[in-house]
Amino acid sequence: MIADAAAKLGIDVPVYCYHEALGPLGACRMCLVQVEKMPKLATACTTAVSEGMVVHTRGPAVDKGRKGVLEFLLINHPLDCPVCDKGGECFLQDYTFQYGPPAGRFEEPKIQKVKDGPINEFILVDQERCVLCQRCVRFMGEYVGEPQLLLEGRGVETVVTTVDHEPATSQFSGNVIDLCPVGALLSVPYHHKARPWNIEREESVCTLCPVGCTTLATGRDGHIVRIEGRPVPDRSWGWLCDRGRFGFDFAVNPSRLITSYLEGREEAAARTTRQVGQWLRDAVSQHGGNSVAFVAGGLHSTEEAYQLNRFAREVVGTERLAVSRDVPGYLPRGLNGTFADIDDADAVVLIGTDPYESVPVVHLRLRDRARALPSLKLMGVAPRSLSRETLRVDTLVTHVGQEAAVLAAALSDAARGHAVLAELVSNGLGDLSGIDGEALAELGSTLVNSEHLTVLWDGLEADVEPVLVALQSVRGDKPTRVLPTWGPSNWRGFERAGFDARIESLTGILEDARDGKLQMLVLWGADLLREYPDQELVRQAYARVPVLVAESLFPPAGHESFKAILPQAGPGEVYGTYVNMEARLQVAMPSVQPPGQARPTKTYVTAWARAMEKPFVLQEDWDPYDDNSGDLVPEESVPREVRPIAPASSAPDGYELITGVLVIENGIPSDFLKPRVPQYPGRISPSDADRLGIRNQAVIKLSREGREMTAAVAVDPAMTPGRIYMPLGLADAPVNALGTGAVNVTVIEEVHSA
Amino acid sequence: MKPEWKEWAQEAKAEFPKANSALLPLLHRIQRAEGWLAPETLSDVAELLNLPVQYVESVASFYSLYFKQPVGKKVVHVCVGLSCMLAGSDELMHRLEEKLGVSQGQTTPDGAYTLLEAECLAACDLAPVAQVNLRYKGPVPPEKADELLKEEVSS
Ligand code: SF4
Ligand code: SF4
Ligand code: FES
Ligand code: FES
Repeated sequence: MIADAAAKLGIDVPVYCYHEALGPLGACRMCLVQVEKMPKLATACTTAVSEGMVVHTRGPAVDKGRKGVLEFLLINHPLDCPVCDKGGECFLQDYTFQYGPPAGRFEEPKIQKVKDGPINEFILVDQERCVLCQRCVRFMGEYVGEPQLLLEGRGVETVVTTVDHEPATSQFSGNVIDLCPVGALLSVPYHHKARPWNIEREESVCTLCPVGCTTLATGRDGHIVRIEGRPVPDRSWGWLCDRGRFGFDFAVNPSRLITSYLEGREEAAARTTRQVGQWLRDAVSQHGGNSVAFVAGGLHSTEEAYQLNRFAREVVGTERLAVSRDVPGYLPRGLNGTFADIDDADAVVLIGTDPYESVPVVHLRLRDRARALPSLKLMGVAPRSLSRETLRVDTLVTHVGQEAAVLAAALSDAARGHAVLAELVSNGLGDLSGIDGEALAELGSTLVNSEHLTVLWDGLEADVEPVLVALQSVRGDKPTRVLPTWGPSNWRGFERAGFDARIESLTGILEDARDGKLQMLVLWGADLLREYPDQELVRQAYARVPVLVAESLFPPAGHESFKAILPQAGPGEVYGTYVNMEARLQVAMPSVQPPGQARPTKTYVTAWARAMEKPFVLQEDWDPYDDNSGDLVPEESVPREVRPIAPASSAPDGYELITGVLVIENGIPSDFLKPRVPQYPGRISPSDADRLGIRNQAVIKLSREGREMTAAVAVDPAMTPGRIYMPLGLADAPVNALGTGAVNVTVIEEVHSA
Repeated sequence: MKPEWKEWAQEAKAEFPKANSALLPLLHRIQRAEGWLAPETLSDVAELLNLPVQYVESVASFYSLYFKQPVGKKVVHVCVGLSCMLAGSDELMHRLEEKLGVSQGQTTPDGAYTLLEAECLAACDLAPVAQVNLRYKGPVPPEKADELLKEEVSS
């Protein structure tokens, strides 16, 4: 299109309705240009360029056309720019200034419409300011596949509104604020908060899930007041999910730590820091460096992990370093793909993970691909169906713990006789009865025969790793790329900084702590009771280790066990790079100061080095980037050995507890998002609910061998029968207290919906 | 949802290659039977034709031919488009409002008339244009308001 060609050449063509991701529409007529040999002005967004075409993007005819369009757009516009949040960031202002008429000729009263009406909890619509470009409507309907906005009425009465005038529920709704070229769609948290000259807008990244979406953070008077999407040319459209866009208020949440706690009492952070330094010194001098272990987690940057790593190794002299993990899987760097592998794929296989819930914006990327390539093979292997209205996934539904075996069976079938497979299944495949043979064959052929295979994996089953390694070796030169969907969002960055991200390191530390072999355990943003897959082990470790210290944004679960808790400086408060699920390094510039006594890692570790009287200089210039791999973490070759997987155990008779990441429930509190957090986060299928006598929602008890947990569940028609789903990491219903797999279910209380 | 709607949807679908083409005829048929299109009706139609509710609401709200509220025996539309307005349709509307004792958008208490405005009815050459039960009348200068109300038309 002419509009794209002009943009590429840096020539300005004004557009409202056109957006490359949405495709041409030709609704607003703002983009008029003059094409030689065409009788009338043409819309640049709908006219394809052709050989020899001569286009004038300015000139008397073009300017007159644009002037006319703007005069029409402004006929009923309320001209209330002084009280509009978009004032100064608005294309209606900009284009009117550039091309518009100085005054309109229309003197009749303006039509009045709804101002500041609700789209949902986060978005307001000012129908008077709307230029009816339809970006918002088309984004929700065509791009997201959740058609919750519409144009209602005709002619000058047309307005943007929601279906049945009910709040829009899509988790991608906030993007329409960025898309709206004028001040018609506004952010509720930012409403009447600032003018462009009051704010600092810094390039940042969202750290709330492993996608690491690129953002702009708006700071005013020391607070972040807005997060916007930041498009990166040729890489990302700049979409965000509502979790990332509106969840920024965690930084000022009342539960945020801004002072420290020493032996349970509130204390000035400086004193607590000194005391921890003393403990470190005692532990090292009496028991040696390896009596102290460090676990990195949470929302720390790569630099902070690096500083902690150097302090631990050089000053404390310990090798006991691990990353906090909530799932046991690990992905070798060599297999790690990028989002471009989604755009190039002819087959995508989802293992365990539902991208809509675990890595929301990747769901949009997958939809984008599925729309561009209707023949895209999209398959899933998981203990529940992964298919949704917005993305059809052929799911091979397994029982808990069978994913690796099912994948291996499919692979062995399709690539019979491959040496690496003999090794992989040398312990047998186990009991896979009930798995449909035809579906298995289709999965096998997709795995083996696709040209460009991209896999998304939730890491819940560690044995999938050797299967992926074997798969890569079977496929040889054909790309086999994997995107890990688990957290902590910067785990690859911690690895880059020198921490071992495999769960075995963490398990080793916890076992040693439980066995009394550790003197001191320092948790850096890690909240292990909530995260580590076996809560009991963490409990025992906490109870036994003499000195338990945490540095964190929020008080960790079981905070009574901690001798000291220090406040952490969060993302957006210090400069840092974060590595996302593509193994891509991205910079987040600080836009505000850390609140209260929260300090960056560097402050703590330098203070402790001084307390321990060891020389320790942190180079300012450590740079996680690499000359050869650019903004990706350096490539590594894929391991060759394949460890045999454990055979699948038989399907249990009764219910199975299953889990997965739900980004909205990932433990980082937000008042803005509260209305969106489900009150009954668990899910049960209608047929199981029937059997248990549950109509809508209920509180149920799940138990196995003396352990139990209560869960608030709601009936979900999309849920696979026989499974009870609970999101991972809920404070009041911790799946890690029980573990996934067979459970007994009893109904405690049925709750009738209002 | 009325049971017969399913059949009607099937019949409408059979006439066109794509489901969304069946939307207008189906809405007409249901409106003829029900008198108007309630929000629940629109959801039902969306379900019958397997279209997003959003699409059906958008289409139904676009056409003044579809009533989104219960209407009286005679529905009078007055065009308020530019051509008609210049030719005096605002005055016509005024007189009708006076005579019927209701404002535009309302139905007389006896249920005899509903007075509605319409955007350009695409008959500007006949301005000012009105419709009585969707039959075109024009030109209808303001002085002919009485005659317009007396028009005998099938409902
Ligand atoms: S609300 Fe904004 S994005 Fe939506 S149609 Fe109006 S101007 Fe366009
Ligand atoms: S998808 Fe993840 S990284 Fe992107 S905005 Fe949402 S929470 Fe943040
Ligand atoms: S941008 Fe070309 S018509 Fe709207
Ligand atoms: S303006 Fe009334 S018919 Fe066109």
